[in-house]
Amino acid sequence: MSYVLGVSAFYHDSAAAIVSTDDGEIIAAAQEERFSRKKHDPRFPAGAINYCLEEAFIEPESIDAVVFYDNSALTIDRVVRNFMSVAPRGRDGFVTAIRSVLGDKLELPELLSQTLGADRPFWFVDHHLSHASSAFYPAPFEDAAILTIDGVGEHATLSIGHGTGRKIEMLKEINYPHSLGLLYSAVTAYCGFKVNSGEYKLMGLAPYGEPVYAQTIEDHLIDIRPDGSFRLNMDYFAYPEGAEMTGSRFHELFGGPPRAQESRIRIRDMDLAASIQAVTEKVVLRLAKHAREITGSRNLVMAGGVALNCVANGHLHRTGLFDGIWVQPAAGDAGGALGAALYAAHTAFDALRPVGDRDRQKGSYLGPRFTPAEVESLVDRLGLVAEHIPDSAARAMRIAGEIAEGKVVGRLAGRMEYGPRALGARSILGDPRDTKMQSRMNLSIKYRESFRPFAPAIMHDRVAEVFEHEDESPYMLMVAPVRAERRLPFGWEDFRRGGADMLDAVNRPRSDVPAVTHVDYSARLQTVHPEDNPEFYKLLDAFEKLTGCPLLINTSFNVRGEPIVMTPEDAIRCFFRTEMDILVLEEHILFKDAQPKQEDDDEWRSEFELD
Amino acid sequence: MFLPKLRARVAHESGGYLLETNELGFRSASEVKIEKQQVLVFGDSFTAGDGVSNGKRWSDTLAREFDRAEFHNFALPGSGTDQQYLIWRKFARDRQSDLIVIAVLVENIRRIMSAWRPASNEEGQTVFRAKPYFELKDGLLVRGHDPVPIESVTASELGEASVDLGGRFPTLRRMLNRLEVKDLVQSLTGYQPVPDYDHPDTPGWQLMRAILVKWLGEIRTIHDCAVAVVPLPLYQHVEGTADPKAYQARFSELGADLNVHILDPLPALQGYSQLERRGFRFERDVHLTQAGHAAVAEALAPRIRDLLECAS
Ligand SMILES: [Fe+2]
Repeated sequence: MSYVLGVSAFYHDSAAAIVSTDDGEIIAAAQEERFSRKKHDPRFPAGAINYCLEEAFIEPESIDAVVFYDNSALTIDRVVRNFMSVAPRGRDGFVTAIRSVLGDKLELPELLSQTLGADRPFWFVDHHLSHASSAFYPAPFEDAAILTIDGVGEHATLSIGHGTGRKIEMLKEINYPHSLGLLYSAVTAYCGFKVNSGEYKLMGLAPYGEPVYAQTIEDHLIDIRPDGSFRLNMDYFAYPEGAEMTGSRFHELFGGPPRAQESRIRIRDMDLAASIQAVTEKVVLRLAKHAREITGSRNLVMAGGVALNCVANGHLHRTGLFDGIWVQPAAGDAGGALGAALYAAHTAFDALRPVGDRDRQKGSYLGPRFTPAEVESLVDRLGLVAEHIPDSAARAMRIAGEIAEGKVVGRLAGRMEYGPRALGARSILGDPRDTKMQSRMNLSIKYRESFRPFAPAIMHDRVAEVFEHEDESPYMLMVAPVRAERRLPFGWEDFRRGGADMLDAVNRPRSDVPAVTHVDYSARLQTVHPEDNPEFYKLLDAFEKLTGCPLLINTSFNVRGEPIVMTPEDAIRCFFRTEMDILVLEEHILFKDAQPKQEDDDEWRSEFELD
Repeated sequence: MFLPKLRARVAHESGGYLLETNELGFRSASEVKIEKQQVLVFGDSFTAGDGVSNGKRWSDTLAREFDRAEFHNFALPGSGTDQQYLIWRKFARDRQSDLIVIAVLVENIRRIMSAWRPASNEEGQTVFRAKPYFELKDGLLVRGHDPVPIESVTASELGEASVDLGGRFPTLRRMLNRLEVKDLVQSLTGYQPVPDYDHPDTPGWQLMRAILVKWLGEIRTIHDCAVAVVPLPLYQHVEGTADPKAYQARFSELGADLNVHILDPLPALQGYSQLERRGFRFERDVHLTQAGHAAVAEALAPRIRDLLECAS
């Protein structure tokens, strides 16, 4: 057996992935932040690479090629020619940009052979081609239109391609500085959230607002053509110069300076969030239509940071424009490692590409796992008290019973997820029927903004009972409405008129599963299939048997600003720092109130800042 | 001990190495093919193969050479001959054995004289964990730390108790490292890293000998199998910066007295060029490299072949 190793480094989110050259099977993939415990770690992914070789259990000689996502020559060229820093990455302008982009990449071959312990052939795959590969190759389609949209790669910020069999053809692109991703990021920054991580929060904020600025955005900031292509009016943006995303004209346009981080969220921020969301959806829809026209394909695959906009994806899905839509769950830069590896495997090494009914992403459970023996030895070493339930049905029933009684459960089980979402393997779970659960989990467990909604994980064969959605959505990348008969009226108009504050609005029940129902009655779906994750499915099934409710709240197992936990040690640390009630580590269950008193650990809040 | 059924890649200055353990927690294959000759190997990290993947160790290299035999590696990193004897008693005494190979890193003579070994705790501080040990009292081996206390202690709690810090003169050694002229100084001063071999009557050798006598005696009451003792040299001996004569003399006396096979790989290793010999250890880590393991295997192979042929 031989393999291709894909590496993404020196962007926002370093990662490594390893795939087979026989049939493109994804053996392993993981982000470096989980190993280094530094969120969005852009450094060389030594930990993730080591893990990839561990999972494949191979010597470096079995690696036919190492493929780096991004053609560094092009990136360097862009930096040098334009004398600019890409604001989301480098803050200190040109010098930093040169050093970070050029300097680090020149060391890359050396870092690689150090980590591998051998020199292997070393290639590059273009940024957007990597994204396109990550979207197309694992998808369950013989042929598909490919849409990739992000902040910026070498030059391109958006591309349309066509995948057939093992071949990908790139058809169109839009180049920097015209970037839908950076426009979204600019509004994110203006609304007081962090670029590169706050975009998801802005999307969560959108349903609280009205798209009253959508026309202003179209009139001044972005010129959208019928085919979805666009140009930004750069007079409003500061990112090509370096330090800031938005310029003074931008601030004048929306009536004032940006919101200070962590200050009170105002109606204006909510309306801006709703407006940029509407504009984004318009562009994505037009692009998708155009991609459909020029490729003639009935399927669409997507990647790039903007593809994580599950609200836009959900709308696209409901248009019926495509028979099938598949989005790479590691849509951001981390996913580039996987795309680069797959591209090389399928094109340079002629790896087969079997296409079946379901995708080849394996539920995105592509990271490390830990054995019950490892958990047992850790629990003993730390002097903790755990209940060992080796029988999985009995364990599921025990955990489900606790959740049904209002307990909040942290769960580490099976292989860790690849991509930004926790899909049950490193998740905090709760009862979605509980009206106080959203604010309790936000404030005393995740220590984050209370407006942020939680996602439901639901048995894949029960999804239509609760949501207006019938297909699978295994990666939490589609938003769908809660079924009308399950909704409750909740006086949203009072809130808009200023009659209620946000927390109050959050705490009002909106459906019979309030904790996962957003204020616009939408939910970010994760459908769970027993083939991808039999244990998690069993747990949902057990909860359903006890309560009649086939879904749970599923949020990532971390506190604010911290990378999602990877090891049992990480999980135990997080467990004691929060008001989580129960911790599941593979076959072991730890109850908070049964544990010996822990030393106070107040330092940690400063360890991770709000992202 | 390692966790059982582990598959890991350990990051290392060599890049990394693959470590796989069986259900007992040894870096060894688990299946026993009865029709094959069974070779059981005991030792410390130089035999367990710190720094190299399972398949690249000298025991595995030998296993590939003799396909009629199956090699089981019971080596435990950080252990002394005393603990290795206890491992044999606990895990291997009743197993089919056609050849038992006891690899004694010559430095083990210091480890068997200590009751504690340094380790790092959860906070990364150095603490001392108890190890089982033996003392010679009136010519008899007496077991200490039985059962082995689980709690670790700090240096100050330990006081004057015997600890193996992994070097004869820790301070001096650290200083020499910093000067980066360690090799030179060692050869100029006739550095003897393991002085307990200097004379047959030193307490260290007396204890080592007693442990091996007891172990061999027990093996012989149970099995009718060949036993080989492999004194594994330190890199100073291989590279000619320390004199091996004393330990070689002690082990050959032992071989004659007890009628046990002493398989000394050192003469063969000394046959390589200086550059090759330097390549038998890593840049910083003193453990055997893949080349070092291969050379040890090659040095042992002829005698192992004889022993396996005799046994069949
Ligand atoms: Fe990208």
